[in-house]
Order: sequence, then structure tokens, then C-alpha cells
Amino acid sequence: MVKAVPGVLVKCDPSIKALILNLDKEFGNQYVIEDLGDEEHLLVKNDRIQELKRRVQEEISKRIETKLDEEE
Amino acid sequence: MPPKKRKAEAAEAEVDGQEWSGGELSDADTFKRLENKFSLVGHQKPRHQTDGASGLFQNDQASQPLKPDHASRPMWVVEDGKIILESFSPLFPEAQDFLINIAEPISRVSRMHEYTLTAHSLFAAVSVGHTPDEIINRLEKYSKAVLNSTVVSFIKKSSAAYGKAKIVLKKTLSYIESDDPALLRQLLQDPVISQSLADSSATLITEAAPKFGQMMIPGTKMAAGANQIAQPELAAEEPEEPNKIIAALREDDEEEEEEAKVHSFQIRSETREAVIKQCWEIGYPLTQEYDFNNDQVNANLNIDLKPHAQIRYYQEKALSKMFSNSRARSGVIVLPCGAGKTLVGITAACGVKKSCIVLCNSTMSAIQWRTEFLNWSNINPDDIAVLTSMEKNVFPKSAGVLVTTYHMLAASGKRAHDTAAALKFIQEREWGLLIADEVHIIPAAMFKKVTYSVASHCKLGLTATLLREDDKIGTLNFLVGPKLYEANWQELSQQGHIAKVQCAEVWCRMAPEFYREWLNTTGSNSPKKQLLAVLNPYKFQACQFLIDYHHKRGDKTIVFSDNVYALTKYSIKLGCPQIHGGTSQHERQLVLENFRNNPAIHTIFLSKIGDTSLDLPEATCLIQISSHYGSRRQEAQRLGRILRAKRRNDEGFNAFFYSLVSKDTDEMTYAARRQSFLVDQGYAFKIITRLEGIEDRTDLFFRTLTDRKELLTEVCLAKESDAAEEHIAGDTFSMNLNKRKKGGARRTAGTLADLSGGAGMSYIEYNKTKNKELSKSKGVKNNFIRKLNSSHTNAKKRKAAGQ
Repeated sequence: MVKAVPGVLVKCDPSIKALILNLDKEFGNQYVIEDLGDEEHLLVKNDRIQELKRRVQEEISKRIETKLDEEE
Repeated sequence: MPPKKRKAEAAEAEVDGQEWSGGELSDADTFKRLENKFSLVGHQKPRHQTDGASGLFQNDQASQPLKPDHASRPMWVVEDGKIILESFSPLFPEAQDFLINIAEPISRVSRMHEYTLTAHSLFAAVSVGHTPDEIINRLEKYSKAVLNSTVVSFIKKSSAAYGKAKIVLKKTLSYIESDDPALLRQLLQDPVISQSLADSSATLITEAAPKFGQMMIPGTKMAAGANQIAQPELAAEEPEEPNKIIAALREDDEEEEEEAKVHSFQIRSETREAVIKQCWEIGYPLTQEYDFNNDQVNANLNIDLKPHAQIRYYQEKALSKMFSNSRARSGVIVLPCGAGKTLVGITAACGVKKSCIVLCNSTMSAIQWRTEFLNWSNINPDDIAVLTSMEKNVFPKSAGVLVTTYHMLAASGKRAHDTAAALKFIQEREWGLLIADEVHIIPAAMFKKVTYSVASHCKLGLTATLLREDDKIGTLNFLVGPKLYEANWQELSQQGHIAKVQCAEVWCRMAPEFYREWLNTTGSNSPKKQLLAVLNPYKFQACQFLIDYHHKRGDKTIVFSDNVYALTKYSIKLGCPQIHGGTSQHERQLVLENFRNNPAIHTIFLSKIGDTSLDLPEATCLIQISSHYGSRRQEAQRLGRILRAKRRNDEGFNAFFYSLVSKDTDEMTYAARRQSFLVDQGYAFKIITRLEGIEDRTDLFFRTLTDRKELLTEVCLAKESDAAEEHIAGDTFSMNLNKRKKGGARRTAGTLADLSGGAGMSYIEYNKTKNKELSKSKGVKNNFIRKLNSSHTNAKKRKAAGQ
């Protein structure tokens, strides 16, 4: 039985892709449908894309903040 | 600051606590306060609120109207003492010459130079003969806007405070001297100073001031006599602290006065730093100058520059600031690596012509200093001695030059008999001049006491990089003296004294596999994270690409990596020799020798032991693959390795400095921080995001995913200890050539088969380092000669067979 899942193709930098895959693993596979093998493409669940965007944003800003702290 | 460093510092502080008791004053806060006492930052007026954005600016200069002809004037003088100078103005050379005398350079990029007025720099200006009015007039002349009244009063106040009291050295004991007894009484009232007195029932010692300009100075002898009376008491007082006798400066009267009396009181030598700071705080900074021409107590040393020694103009400028009005002033001279710091030191010694002690930071450079002394001056080889862990000499006559290392003097605990004797020799003498090479390391707690244990009239610090990541560089003002001169790097490189360098930061994207692993590793500074960033396959490819590219151009390349594990990986994979802390002395020499002379060896890998005091004029290209966090000093020191490139005066020659950085990792932030010093010196870093032609190359390593995965596995399996940075104790490049090997027999258990070679397994090493290959290649390479040799032996054999 074939099952179709609607998804969004995400194109991003390799490092962001690694970040997304990481988040996906952390949250028990909630976001990614399929890792498309190459370095910058991913298929992400349709209804989760906004949430994922937010999480990636959070992750990045967290990183920048800690770096700024270290500098001070 | 990375936690590791913090820990190291804490450890240092512990050691410090035992050895140096002036604890409460050596805090950074105190320094800040002291600096503020004589700086402009504190006096700020309320800002003018003209529009919504004005709150963002500290100094709006609204009170200083612009002069009508401002376009033709080259500088802005800001309220907080900063001076900004336009380097494209026709008046620039003139203004620069003036500013270098009265202010300290902060940043010199190509179009704008930034200076700051400090009390130290103004003292130096007054002592070379600038009057406060002259300084103000000339600033007014160059300034685009009307001078701020705060700046004017600061200049007046600072220059007036100069020269009222001084700290002098008589017979290795420290005295505060002044011609105004009221001032000294005031100083005696001060709680800190009164605690530092050598004799609790202190009375002022009054004696005739030595007359200026006379050859025979009665005052000095009288002073000596007075001291001899005072001395027995003292000897009884502090017999258990002989090593705390400290340096101070002996100097004659500042203003020429007839029949003037000088008054003085003695302070305990170990409190010297505290007293200097205290006087600074209450507004009477102590002057420290040495009138060496009139010093009859210490024996003269017969030393002069050889006629062939040519001093370059900037060296002359630096020295003229040190020796203005024929007195030697303590201070620090900053010259880039390879610009002839050693010669400046030697010339200073030739100027003072008294006993001189040179402190360097490694045995290797101690030996270099001695050679340079013999090269450039006519000093008798017997008069110059080297005191290191291997050679323990002192000079036989009453005056001479002694070269030693900080570690020799700083190490505590029981010393070998001859070392102890040599140290005693050092502490019991008065030295005319102390030269501190790489002076930026002095503020480290362990070296602080070195400056106290040597009684010297005048101290000269030399360095290329007057900066530390901790804020201790300010302590140098009290430990050695103010910054006397700082050379302009760009000017020197344009004139060909140091090489022109193209700097570039190469951004390498992280391989996704590596980045995932990097994200998964916890701890922001964990060694594993760093290792992943360093061994990023794309960085590896970039490194390989650059090495190849520069090899084809005929450049010789040094690759720096702080991380030894990565260093070894790179060097084995790329087939280049390497040197790190664990490399034996013999191997080091062999590798360096080959790098210098063997055209086949075009690249070497160095760990951080190569950062300083390694002279490789053949190197013209430098690649940095990993580094010590955000250390600006390391960046500058590494750049120094290629500044002395031999070919620097070739037409159109450029040296190259690459810093490889893995994108999206901590390395990016650190790289930006590291560059800030060099950027201030006018270097521009190009950012390369993509190396032209790297995609077309098929011979690069790690092109396939399997290769990368394999590398990743290896990195993940690497032990934490492998990944950690190497720790090098003390002497980085020491030459323990005559280290004795332990003789005698060795017993091991084994089978008879082993002894007879019957165990039968032969050992072949794959993945060998290039170092081994170098050491093996003793055989004759050339075909013709080999044939000749073999025919020779064949003939011999035939002959033998014939008989």
C-alpha cells in the first residue's frame, strides 16, 4: 500500500542541514521525512515547517549569544 | 576567556602568592584606578542632547567649534585624549613626528592613525625637552577644531608633575630622592609609603646635590659613604631576604641648582613597585633616569659598536628617545619581529657602557644574543657570559655582559651549587642596564620577581607584540617603564626592512558529517570539538591546495597547528616533515637543516614551539590550521616568522599568511579577534570564501564520502588526551645537545629466539612520517656517483678474487 505524505523541499547550507538533522533527532523525528542524500536538500513535513524555522532561528541566536558572552 | 586559560592563571596566582607579597596592590582594579588618576577618561562632561542619536556617542565635541580652515589641518583631538590623524594630509609627516614624541600610537591603518595622550607619554615628552606650552600650541596648530579645555589642563597637570621626586639606586638599595624636603615629608605621611620604609624611625638623609656636568662628582661618593654607614643596620634587618633586593635607578639631580641639597629616604626594595604606584596615585610620579656618564661607582665596560654596524633610522629614533639629554630612561621599545631588536639592545649597552644583564625567554635565544653581541660589538669574548641550565658562567672582571633566561632567575626551590653561586653574583651587583627581551612575558606572576631580584639602574624592554590577553600589560609601566617607541609596521615594510605580507583568511565549509559530530559534542571548548574543526576534510583540502600552489611558485611554506594530533595527521598524509614538542633535538636540527637547504623539502609542519625565536628566513608562506583561541600575540608572532624573508627585497615580492578557518564553528569568532592587533598595525585581511580551481583538482585527499567517514571515525576514536593541546614546559627550543645519556647495562627479559633473530617478524612502518625518511637518506642519491662507487667496490672484489 503506497502512502503519500505532503512535504516541503528545504534547500540550505550543509551546516544548516546538519543542524536540522540534529534537531530532528533530538525531537524524535518530528520534522524530516527524507534526507535527500546530497549536501543541501531535505524533505520536511508540511505542517512542521514553521516550527522548524523557529527552532533553527533559536538555535542560531543561542549560538551567537554564547559567543558574544565569551568575548566579554 | 577559555576556562583552561583561566585555570592556568589561577595556578599561576597560587605560585605567585608565595613568592610575591605585594598582593593587595597588584590587582587589576588598582591599576585601572591608577591609570585613571592621570588619564582623561574620568572627566566627562554631560552630553549635549541635540537629537535622538546623540546619546550613542561618548564624545560629541559639540563644545569645540571647527576652525574655518579645518580642511587643511590634519588631526582631531578628542576630549578623552585620543588623537585621530589623517595620513593623507600634506602635514602628515610633520605631525606624525611630533605625535610620536608626545603620544602613544594605538592603531595605524592606511588612512587614519590613532594616538592617545597618556601621562607616561607626556612625561617622556617633557624629558626630551618639549614644554607644555609648546605641546599645546602645536596641537592647536594641527587640530581641526579648537582644543578642548580638559585636554589642555591635562597636559599642563601631567607635565607639571614630572620630575619632582625620583627613585634612585645606591649600592643596590632603593631611595626616594627630592630636592624639596617638604614633599618628602608629605610622602612619608602616606600610609603605604610609611609602611615601606626600610627603617621605621625614618629620618631624611640630606646631602649635597651632585653637580651636573662635572666629571668628578663628590656627591656620589658622599652618598656612597652615607650608605655604608646605613648599611650594617640594614644587613641585620633583612638577612633572610637577600634575593629581594631590587632594582632602582640612580640618577642625579634633575634641575641644575647651585649648592642644592638633595633629601632622600630609603625604602625596602621589595616594596618598590607599591611605592611607585602610590606616588603615582598621590600625584607625584617618580622619575627613573640613569645618568650613566657621571656614575663613577660602577666600573666601565669597554664596549663599542663595530664600524660595520649600521643603525637603521627607526632604531636610531627609538634609541634617541631612550637616551635623550644623555641619560638613560627605562622603558619599552616595540619593533616588529625581524626588524633588529637585538641590535637596538646591543647599541643601548654600548651607550651605557656599564655592566649589562640580558634576559631572554629561551636558552636558544640566550645563545643567539651572545653571538649577536660578538658580531656587532667589539666586546672581549671573555667579558660576555651566558648563564643557562647548561652553561653556568659569570664574567671574571668587574664589568661585563651576562645573558640569561627568565626561567633561570625565576625558578624557586633548591638550586644546583654553581647556579646558586651565579644567582648570588647577580643579586649582589649593581647593573647599569637590564635588557628584557620579549618583555610582554614579564607581567606573568613568576617573572615579576625577576625584575626585583636584579638591581639595575635602567631597564630596557624589547618586544614585537606589546599585548597580553589578560590586562596585565599596564603593569609594565611600573615594572619596566613606559613605552618609549613603537615602530610603524607598514612604513618598515614599505622601506624593505621587513617583508610585505598579504594576509588572508580562508573560510572552509565544514563537511556535513563533521559538522553533525561537532554539534553533538558538548562543551563549547572541548578539545574534541576543536579537533573536528581542525581536521575538517575541506580545510585539509584547502591546505593541500595552498601548499601545492605555493610549491609551484617556489615558495617555502610553514604550516602551523597548535594541535599535535592534527599536526601529525596532516604531515603524514601530505608527506611533509614535522616538528613538535616531542620531536628529538637531533631530528629538529635535521628537519630545519633540510628545510633551509634541501629543495625537495618545501613545506614543514610546526606546532606552537615554532611560534617564537625560530629564525627561518627561507620561509615565504605561512598557513595556520589551528591556533590558540583568540590570542592576538600568537597571530603576530607567527606572522613574524615570515617578516624576515630573505627574498623580501626582490621586485614585487610578497609573503603570504593564510589562516584556515572552518565555517560555522568557534574558529570564526576567534579568527576575528586574533587579527585585531595586526589590523591595528595596518594589515588588511582578505577573506577568501572559495579557492579558485579547487573543485577541478582530482588529486586532493578526502574527495569521497568513504574517505571522509574514515577520517571522522579516526577523529572520534582519538583519545581526549590526543586531542588536547600540547603543553610545553618552559624552554621551548632549548638546545640540550650535551645532555648526558644514562650509561650502564640494561636488563630485559626475552627468549633466545629473540636474541638470535629467530622470532622472524620484521617490522615495517606504513604511514611513516617524513622525518624518518630524512634521517635515513644518508646514501648517495646521484646515479653516476653510485655507479662509480659500485664499480670501485667491484674492482676491489675482483682484485681480491684474483689473488
